[in-house]
Amino acid sequence: MAVRIFLVDDHPIVRQGLKTLLEGRVGWEVIGEASDGAEALQKSSDLKPDIMVLDVTMPRMNGLEACRLLRKRSPQLEILFVTQHDSPQMMREALEAGGRGYVVKSNAARDLLAAIEAVSQHRVFIALNGRDSANLR
Amino acid sequence: MKLRILLVDDHEIVRSGLRALLERHSDWEVCGEASDGREAVEKALRLKPDVVIVDIGMPKLNGLDTTRQLLQHDPQFKVIVLTITDSDQVIRESLAAGARGFILKSDAARDLMSAVEAVENDRMFFTPRVNDVVLAGFLDQGNGSSGNATPKLPVLTAREREITQLLAEGNSSKEVACLLNLSTKTVETHRSNIMRKLSFHSIRDLVVYAIKNNLIQIEMPSSSQTPTDLTAA
Repeated sequence: MAVRIFLVDDHPIVRQGLKTLLEGRVGWEVIGEASDGAEALQKSSDLKPDIMVLDVTMPRMNGLEACRLLRKRSPQLEILFVTQHDSPQMMREALEAGGRGYVVKSNAARDLLAAIEAVSQHRVFIALNGRDSANLR
Repeated sequence: MKLRILLVDDHEIVRSGLRALLERHSDWEVCGEASDGREAVEKALRLKPDVVIVDIGMPKLNGLDTTRQLLQHDPQFKVIVLTITDSDQVIRESLAAGARGFILKSDAARDLMSAVEAVENDRMFFTPRVNDVVLAGFLDQGNGSSGNATPKLPVLTAREREITQLLAEGNSSKEVACLLNLSTKTVETHRSNIMRKLSFHSIRDLVVYAIKNNLIQIEMPSSSQTPTDLTAA
């Protein structure tokens, strides 16, 4: 059964880039997109994605807040943050909010596929710039 | 013959998104990609693209100086600037550098095709905000005003700006020399000239100057941001 992925980023060009990367992989399907946290909450309720790829900095509702609400509503949903914040503190906040993975945007082309693979198996994936990624069970 | 486009952005994910959009047009092809300005200049001279799409905030050589260098080598290059901000200063500097198109990253999916079509047909493409700034500058000139809308000529030469960016990014004179294929002594002479021209006494002053003049861009530190703060960023 395909892994159903929902993309949330306020820049359509970034969503397009993410989608292009993900759709090259057999067995993964991008089932929807949103440009902020509020839209993500609204659109994803019927679509029931397995994984939500979330930006942190977005208008209306940021990714951390959206993550808390999404996890509360759907505890089985896995959240992967893809963000420009290359910061251990932001990574901690993201994991505390309920995220399972954290990838820095500048490395997304390198780390995204491994991160999706990990969180789809309910493992933690974290990768900051200049540090080795950690793939935890 | 297809229109050949070179993509320049330090984020591969953005290049990938741009490529996917542009390649929907059957008469266009992305002939190359570069992840910083220095690589862009080298590839543009080798690949001779018709259009170059350039991000502004990039390591090693920012998009504005990349645009200046490209057009200095060959005024036929058609450069479209891609940016996250449409501040007056960035707009004015982009126009002064010779960009023929100016689009915001947030609107790229909507404006990208129109911008490429415009420059392909020797027209310019600007967002409405750019048109406002251009009009304000024109009106100021008509009023004989020497207000903020008049672009200021850079105090530093292109080579000095390039070295300023690399020093502000934390490179030593020796590292800059290595990157630019110059002797350390030449870089140190440039460095002294830069400090003298700007009346600076420390590298800290140079970093502040580089940020203020868009030679480098810094990401907002997350430590002081609460989730609520982030919504406004």
